[in-house]
Amino acid sequence: MITDILFNLVSYRIDEEPHIRVDQAKCASCANRACTFACPARCYEWNQGRGQLDFAHEACLECGTCLLVCEAGAVTWHYPRGGCGVRYRLT
Amino acid sequence: MKAPEPRARSAPFDAVVVGAGPAGASAALCMAQRGASVLLLERGATAGSKSMFGGMLPYCPAAERLVPGFWDEAPWERHVVRRSLSLIGEGTSTTMSFEADSFDSPPYAGVTVFRPLFDRWLAEQACKAGATLLTGVVARELLKDQADRVVGVVVDGPQGQIRAPVVIACDGVLSFLAEQAGLRRAFNTSQMALGVKALFHVGEREINRRFDLVRRQGTTWEFLGATEGVRGGGFLYTQLETVSAGLVLHLDSLQSRGLAPYEILERFLARPLVAGLLRGARLVEYSAHLLPEGGVQMVPRLSRAGLMIAGDAAALCYTNGLIQEGMNLAMTSGLLAGETALEALGTNDTGGDSLASYDDRLKESFVLRDMATYGRAPEMMRNERLYSVYPTLVGQILQRMYASDGNPRPSVRAIARQELKGQGSLPRLARDLWEGVRAI
Repeated sequence: MITDILFNLVSYRIDEEPHIRVDQAKCASCANRACTFACPARCYEWNQGRGQLDFAHEACLECGTCLLVCEAGAVTWHYPRGGCGVRYRLT
Repeated sequence: MKAPEPRARSAPFDAVVVGAGPAGASAALCMAQRGASVLLLERGATAGSKSMFGGMLPYCPAAERLVPGFWDEAPWERHVVRRSLSLIGEGTSTTMSFEADSFDSPPYAGVTVFRPLFDRWLAEQACKAGATLLTGVVARELLKDQADRVVGVVVDGPQGQIRAPVVIACDGVLSFLAEQAGLRRAFNTSQMALGVKALFHVGEREINRRFDLVRRQGTTWEFLGATEGVRGGGFLYTQLETVSAGLVLHLDSLQSRGLAPYEILERFLARPLVAGLLRGARLVEYSAHLLPEGGVQMVPRLSRAGLMIAGDAAALCYTNGLIQEGMNLAMTSGLLAGETALEALGTNDTGGDSLASYDDRLKESFVLRDMATYGRAPEMMRNERLYSVYPTLVGQILQRMYASDGNPRPSVRAIARQELKGQGSLPRLARDLWEGVRAI
């Protein structure tokens, strides 16, 4: 899967301060959890065992899909600090 | 919102432009050329480092006005001589290709560009003209005075508050500044599409061979029916040495179908038609971005006291199913915002009434005229049948026309009638066709 090799395909300067926050209480009661399939970087995964949403802001492509598709209003999302985040290199 | 000091020292810049994409760099370039002091802010480490678009820039007079000799100077990839559209059915594909001799000589109707290279170049032109580019800086908030007038921006880092009589927000499709200003309504899935793109290194000669091109000719290729029932489409664009292959998916449709964009993309890339063109090619990048797809109805008021918005931030982007425009609208709106700002600064009046002439200029220009002409297209393109039923139907009719099985053939009309029976009523088809025609 393309998302499995994301770090080979895209450069990042990772901000240690996450630019995404989720409200786990809202995620727990969310029926659709659209973030878990709609995020093109596959940053979100529902952890059945721990009953929580695992997410990794490091791979974020900064598109904002999660913010829009979240039906529970659980996502707080802003742009990473200046100079941080995804960096399209090749091009 | 931080409260500004009641009597601010006079602003160091005439204007702050947020975002060094095509809209922002055009605004900054236009103003700097005429002697204004402009600060151009970019959140990426370089201008263009957050841009993933690998698509087509249609011919655009604003480009030539900003940079005389633009088409000779700008770092574009290939000039587009062929526009193709494929309808993907179940086990069928029907392709229409359009070529015009005139597309092969300047002024080119469209060129493919790499935004990371192009944006950096355009921002450099703004700097050469005297604008100040500050990269790695995020503008988080608008600075307002007691009269609710925009008087600058608040940025991360040591700069803190940056004051200017005019702010031009070109901060992209998710323009938090336009939202804060009350110009953009809350972002919603029914007006947005998600673009995902895989970039393949194929090589210049091999691209020419596989796509039947010579010299620096290029092609654009759209695909309908390849998105597994999600409203949207696929695309291939040829750059000089690379090919962009991707999908644009309506966000609400993706959300309700419960499909993952990268999975649909991988299956799109594996389709024989696409896989053959990319055989042996090296995947070198993957990217994603949102597009404003709400059409003219999504375009908000574009100015208020001290502030104008341009490009994707103003939702200036559209498709009518055949053409997709955005970058030319961004550059044109940036230019018009810059010109409005210059006039307003000249009369020392950057109030709401003065900057409202930007809205008027855009309405008179091709930007909002075209968007109004295709104003019905977004509704038409919400018709699910466009993305599954019709591409399949076309394929079935043509398959029965072309196939021989030793039995007497029915007439084409009879085939069409029989196939239509299975796929939907004739009145509905007629209505959809009429809506399609009306939309474009």
